[in-house]
Amino acid sequence: MKPIETTQKRLAFFTIFMVIVFSIILVRLWFLQVIEGETYAKIAEENRIRLVAIPALRGVIYDRNKNILVDNKASLAVSFTPGKKRGDIEVINRLSQILGMSVSEIEAKINENKSDPLAPKIIKSNLDEKTVAFIKEHQIDLPGVNIETESVRDYPNGITAAQILGYLGEISESELKEREYSSYVLGDIIGKTGIEKQYESFLAGEKGGQQLEVDASGSPIRILSNKDPVPGHSVMLTIDKSIQQAAEQALIDAINVSHKQKYPKAQAGAAVVLDVRNGEVIALASYPTYDPTYFSGGRISFAKWQSLNSKSSNYPLRNRATMSSYPPGSTFKPIVGLGALAEGITTPTKGYLCTGRWYGLGQKWAKNCWKKGGHGKLNFNRGVIVSCDTVFYEIAYRVQKKGGEKLQLWARNFGLGSETGVDLPFEVSGRVPDKAWKKEWNKNNPRNQAWVPGDTVNMAIGQGDLLVTPLQLTNAYAAIANGGTLFKPKIAKNVLSFEGQVSYQFKPEEIKKLPLNSATLKVMQDDLEKVTKEGTATNAFVDFPIPVAGKTGTAQVKGKDDFAWFVGYAPANKPEYAVLVMVEQGGHGASVAAPAVRQIIGTIYNVDIAKLKAPSFVDFSR
Amino acid sequence: MDLKDFSKNLRRIDFILIMVLILILTIGFLMVKSATNTINGGLETSKQIRWILIGIPILILFSLVDYHRLKNYSVFLYLVNLGFLISVYIFGQSALGAQRRIPLGSFVFQPSEFAKIILIITLAAFLSERKGKITKISDVLLAGLHIAVPWILIFHQPDLGTAMVLIAILFGMLLVAGTESKYLIGLIFIGIIGIVLIFNFNVLKDYQMKRLLVFVNPDMDPLGAGYNLLQSKIAIGSGRFWGKGLFSGTQSRLNFIPEHHTDFIFSVLGEELGFAGAFSLVVLYFVLITRGLRIGSLSKDIFGTLIAAGIVSMLLFQIFVNIGMTVGLMPITGIPLPFVSYGGSSMFANMMGIGLLLNVYMRRFK
Repeated sequence: MKPIETTQKRLAFFTIFMVIVFSIILVRLWFLQVIEGETYAKIAEENRIRLVAIPALRGVIYDRNKNILVDNKASLAVSFTPGKKRGDIEVINRLSQILGMSVSEIEAKINENKSDPLAPKIIKSNLDEKTVAFIKEHQIDLPGVNIETESVRDYPNGITAAQILGYLGEISESELKEREYSSYVLGDIIGKTGIEKQYESFLAGEKGGQQLEVDASGSPIRILSNKDPVPGHSVMLTIDKSIQQAAEQALIDAINVSHKQKYPKAQAGAAVVLDVRNGEVIALASYPTYDPTYFSGGRISFAKWQSLNSKSSNYPLRNRATMSSYPPGSTFKPIVGLGALAEGITTPTKGYLCTGRWYGLGQKWAKNCWKKGGHGKLNFNRGVIVSCDTVFYEIAYRVQKKGGEKLQLWARNFGLGSETGVDLPFEVSGRVPDKAWKKEWNKNNPRNQAWVPGDTVNMAIGQGDLLVTPLQLTNAYAAIANGGTLFKPKIAKNVLSFEGQVSYQFKPEEIKKLPLNSATLKVMQDDLEKVTKEGTATNAFVDFPIPVAGKTGTAQVKGKDDFAWFVGYAPANKPEYAVLVMVEQGGHGASVAAPAVRQIIGTIYNVDIAKLKAPSFVDFSR
Repeated sequence: MDLKDFSKNLRRIDFILIMVLILILTIGFLMVKSATNTINGGLETSKQIRWILIGIPILILFSLVDYHRLKNYSVFLYLVNLGFLISVYIFGQSALGAQRRIPLGSFVFQPSEFAKIILIITLAAFLSERKGKITKISDVLLAGLHIAVPWILIFHQPDLGTAMVLIAILFGMLLVAGTESKYLIGLIFIGIIGIVLIFNFNVLKDYQMKRLLVFVNPDMDPLGAGYNLLQSKIAIGSGRFWGKGLFSGTQSRLNFIPEHHTDFIFSVLGEELGFAGAFSLVVLYFVLITRGLRIGSLSKDIFGTLIAAGIVSMLLFQIFVNIGMTVGLMPITGIPLPFVSYGGSSMFANMMGIGLLLNVYMRRFK
């Protein structure tokens, strides 16, 4: 029996329905493939191609004798490549157990680099062999997890020169906006402080890159294109490793001496050694210091970072020789003296009378010399040698009367109040106070805006508002030593190619010639030499075979114990090195800082300090 | 069936249908080869060849045995069908959280695929008694009950895709069987209520629910449940007009497309052969379905028409839902693309379907 008419009608209806169904499919395909095809093609390319940066090997940092200060070493790290579809959470949970990190810590690492959310992220560096073996054995249960070899900084001398060398860290959002980092991307590791930062452009090298084809799980399938990284240049410093270590040790010893002399608050200090002939920085020590391996690989734990920046740690990351400024105390007197000689305010043999109390500004404003009872009758030379305050009060009084802010002029002549320009980041300029400064400084305190004679008098003995960095002061003394040339201190000696050839040589740079004739300088040089023979530093240098010229300083800081200073140069007759030691709240310059300087000079000239007579201190002079 | 009969029938074969089928099988084979040549070194490709080669005698067998004979065995076939479906629960092997298959050597027997064909035959037998007009509600209910028992067994495996195909078959056959419009509209209405109930009573497994929700809002979870759909659309879209070339689809080769040799084979085709290739395949299917409907129309009896209607409903629904899911028109359900997706059971079942169509066509003059 043939199907009846209804059936045919129904089949026709079915046909129409089918035509509609196929039309819908074709319209949809046209829309996806022809109208939006370009868009989807682009997404498909983004799906499969990943750009992977290949880090360049960072340059080595050497000391002046080509001893390695910072090198690279291979370190095993575990990385994780977030997948598009697999169970990342399970893998993260497993990783958390293996690495002993919390899940949130791992997730934070994964989300750190926002520029490429699917790129491999380093979860933990410096893995031990056991962990590496475990991960390799359980690779199947850990999709996306890889063991990677990364190059991290290695410090063969431990903490030596930590603040000079600086540390590495991930580039910050604000740094990314700076022009010098225009070729960097988020997640890059850069030098954050010290030489690592200063010479980043030499040390960093050029990143290479690979264009990889990856599958859905993010695993690379093949390399589409490749660009090899260019290793960074090495930097040779002017630092002498053994002198640097001696300076660091001398600081520690000086602080111990302070403690013995009942100055328990002594906990920090700085030491500087400059070559007076060219401004090269031979040593630059700051205490307390830190272990640079905390930053190895450019990653430091948050807890460690906090502890290094807490008040209780006394800020070990800060290089106190260039990043902190202090009142110089009596070490400023030679600068005042030279200025006074040059300005004709005094002569080497001009006589003064010190009664221990000075009334130049009137009875009401009487000032004391550090020596109770006074020095009696003495001339200018003697005033420098025994560091008589009264002599310098008198000089300041004359300077004040003459007007023209001559004290400030001479402080600035010696480079105080402005950065030395040393090739280290974050140098501070210190402060040379003057009328304009005082007015601005006290703008909310109208009664204290005027510069008064007492300010000049205070300044003449290195007190009041004058602040200098240890490096500035050493550099000023280097200029006295070398006959009047103020150099720009330099810490980089040259740049070496990866193969070790010198590709750039830094030259000594003169900031200026001091406006002083050699006769005037000779007066001060002789006085400074006598400081260690018959003056305030006699005890510290007793029997010392190298003639040393220098000056002690004991600076008063409100609310704190005195800061101990000694700055000088050696050999006094043919100066080569200027050396400074400063101990915060260390007490007396003569008994704390001067022996530390002796220790450093002893190392430079191979003097066996142990065989010398131990200095005895009865005279706690400034 | 004597030899004379055979040669006479052979001349009455629908060669267009055969040609279209060969073309679709060829495209399908190439796509399976392309989709699998990176994973298991083409193990699936050689198996797929085997399924096609075994499928051909099955097709011939189903076209030669006079379909009228099947009518006499419909009660027996129905019971055998239920037996197979129950056996899944006893010998079944679970895959992706569903118990669907019974392993038989290298072949994994999937009774629900064959259940569709058997039900088309038994339901056609049942409805053909009504002589092309269904006016009584009791007949509609009986037809529903006919499907309901195996449907429950399949749905419970769970095999949501095949369960949906069964409903499409029921509806298509009731339509062609001349069921009054009010009952058909009523059926659509019941279907909508059924979907709402399924959503509200947690009948679905979690993964099924997720797939359906993602269909409503594909951006809900682009790296989770929405991932398959998104990657499939990227694949097809990125093929643009001419495609990336056979064996050159990055989305499939790099495993961005899930299940790319089975459920998402059309995504591979769309990516590698572009709109041109996708259009061609859709047109081939169109011709296939058109030939099926023509066979239904030319059938000498209502039983043959209903069998054709069932086969056509089954194929059309599977084609639409499968392609629809790859382009985001339909939710993701595990329905293979006829003659193209990798798989033995579905290949055999679809071959049986074409065999039955040829069977009806050859005997249209008797």
